[in-house]
Amino acid sequence: METQPQQPPPPPVAEKLNPKLEKELNLESLKTRAVSLAKAIARILEDFDAYGRTNTTPKWQDILGQYSMVNLELFNIVEEVKRVSNAFVVLPKNVNAMNAAILPVMLSSKLLPEMETDDNAKREQLLQGVQSLPIPMQIERLKARMDMIAAACENAERVLADTRKAYGFGTRQGPSMLPTMDKGQAAKIQEQEKMLRDAVNDGKGTQLPPDQRQITTALPPHLADVLIINDAGKIALPGQSNNINNQGMMQVSGTQFVGRSAASPSGPNFDNTTSPLPYSNSPRATGMVNVPSPQHQIQQQQFQQQQQRSKLMQLPQHQQQQLLAQQQQQLRQSSMQGLGQSQIPALHDMHGQAQQKFQTSHGQHQMPYSQPMGAHQQFQARQLSGGHIQHSMSQGQLNPAMNRHLNQFSGGANSALFTSAQGSPSSQMIPNMSSMQSQTLVPRMQQFGVSGTNPQRSHSSQMLGDQMFNTSGMMQTQQTQIQQSQQQQQQQQQGGYGNMQTNQQSLQPNNMMQNAQQRHQNPQ
Amino acid sequence: MSMECVVQGIIETQHVEALEILLQGLCGVQRERLRVHELCLRSGPNLGVVSSEVRLLCDLDQPEPTWTVKHVGGAMRGAGADQISVLVRNMIESKVSKNALRMFYALGYKLDHELLKVGFAFHFQRTAHISVSVSSVNKMPKVHAIDEAVPVTPGMQIVDVTAPATSENYSEVAAAVSSFCEFLAPLVHLSKPSISTGVVPTAAAAAASLMSDGGGTTL
Repeated sequence: METQPQQPPPPPVAEKLNPKLEKELNLESLKTRAVSLAKAIARILEDFDAYGRTNTTPKWQDILGQYSMVNLELFNIVEEVKRVSNAFVVLPKNVNAMNAAILPVMLSSKLLPEMETDDNAKREQLLQGVQSLPIPMQIERLKARMDMIAAACENAERVLADTRKAYGFGTRQGPSMLPTMDKGQAAKIQEQEKMLRDAVNDGKGTQLPPDQRQITTALPPHLADVLIINDAGKIALPGQSNNINNQGMMQVSGTQFVGRSAASPSGPNFDNTTSPLPYSNSPRATGMVNVPSPQHQIQQQQFQQQQQRSKLMQLPQHQQQQLLAQQQQQLRQSSMQGLGQSQIPALHDMHGQAQQKFQTSHGQHQMPYSQPMGAHQQFQARQLSGGHIQHSMSQGQLNPAMNRHLNQFSGGANSALFTSAQGSPSSQMIPNMSSMQSQTLVPRMQQFGVSGTNPQRSHSSQMLGDQMFNTSGMMQTQQTQIQQSQQQQQQQQQGGYGNMQTNQQSLQPNNMMQNAQQRHQNPQ
Repeated sequence: MSMECVVQGIIETQHVEALEILLQGLCGVQRERLRVHELCLRSGPNLGVVSSEVRLLCDLDQPEPTWTVKHVGGAMRGAGADQISVLVRNMIESKVSKNALRMFYALGYKLDHELLKVGFAFHFQRTAHISVSVSSVNKMPKVHAIDEAVPVTPGMQIVDVTAPATSENYSEVAAAVSSFCEFLAPLVHLSKPSISTGVVPTAAAAAASLMSDGGGTTL
């Protein structure tokens, strides 16, 4: 309450303010109000003093009333002062850390010491040449000098302005450039700029729509030795699984790999997956990290098979049956391509149990296979021989299991399932069945004798479980085991990857022979 | 973390020659031809939750094309970043062999888009190592068909000024870049990539004056 309102300094006697301004400021009335406010405050203080001395209880109601009146009056005066004092004084609303340092400077009417010295130095420098002259002459000289400087400044400013105009300085920020240009033109430029910047920065406008993502047939030289393009207009990376290329799915990522190999399916039918799959950096796979070898590919397929198997297990049994039927059909489709048994490396690789497991995987052969099939055919036409070998290997792998399965798969119910699966316009099957395949299916079926000749095998759980041939059917178990060992021997004799093509051919007759044998065995 | 300072602008193709003369005079080095096939690859869903993006650049102007892989990270944000007139962002790049493309495809990266940049560039030292490239940006009608590439904007080319920086020195580098850009102001306005500048309305006059007095001496 002690703050006396800051009044504008009362006009000094010597220097009178402009009378008009003085009237506008209304200083007299302001003074009157300020004085009366001071008196009111003094009264309140006196009252308090009296309370203190006489030790009486103050009448708070009255005091509060007086206080609010004083407060209001003070507020009014401050407002008034603000209005009139704008031109003369700085009236900070409050002092804070930000303005604390500068406030004294702003409020001070005296120059800072360093400013004062600077000022004096300048003055002396300026008057050096003319000090000896009489005062009027000094003034004249200084005026002339000021004029010269002003003219030079003006010149400089004009030059700057012209240059700015010529080179477009100063128009950079803001749309001030636009009026100089035709509106339509400016809009066009803006649009082009956006296109260009978008293209460079995030590729907007340069992406091809998915349906036009056809890779050029004539690859530029710097890509020709890096990429191989198949007929489908997709990139075929040599030494990569076809599944990945054609379907664009990466089923064999590291995490899945770990998860798969750790999980051990608990279903009774599939309980033979005891050995974990090899990691890509395991001794078996050494040297195949960068370019997957055929063996590597087979391993990859196994992962898929395992995944498929776990999916299969989750299905109800009738669906399992259906799936099996489809799978069998797919197996036959693969075999139509006339590819031999090229699973030698894998078989070499896995002994005993491992082999058993391998065959099991075949038994549950799987949907992913059907999907790339169409592309495979195109693929074969164009792919390098390396790719071809891999391709044929991956399919050739199917054959032995297929042969056996078709034998086992002889119940009447099963053949009915076959037929329905073939006939039904399943979205999965349609794209994969080329006309050639569907035609050749029939004789093939006959060849395998898929008819009700093996009644004890019609039960679905048997079908799922008897890939090993040793769960049921005593005679057959022995025979099949013999076959297996024969087959293994044959395959071992076939040697390495190098002469894969010939292997396929030479294996083909073996395959047929086995088929024939099995057909004979079945009626027993 | 390595960073770069970037500004970008556009110039009408008809003034590109004048810009080249101006740059020649400012940089004091010979220009380099620029012919770069830029492939932007994006990772598939199998490689982490957030998709990542890499750019493979193939310099086609070399007798044997050379490849560079480049990852452009996020731009610096905040009040400090707003106050400087250039964009500061994380950037990592490395020379790679030609097998890089195949490797990224095998990893599951997919081609997002590709560009063919044709033009010229100047690389010089001025407080920072500054690169100025002026290029026409071409898109392909078919994947990888650089022979059939067509300009995105036929009458307009892009000017990129970049300089490598670190988290310690980026403010000096940014200052060097922006002070260099002042010299280009008669022909091209440069700004952060996201900010549109338009063309310089008086570029024609500046270009004419550049072509008349200094033009013959530099080429």
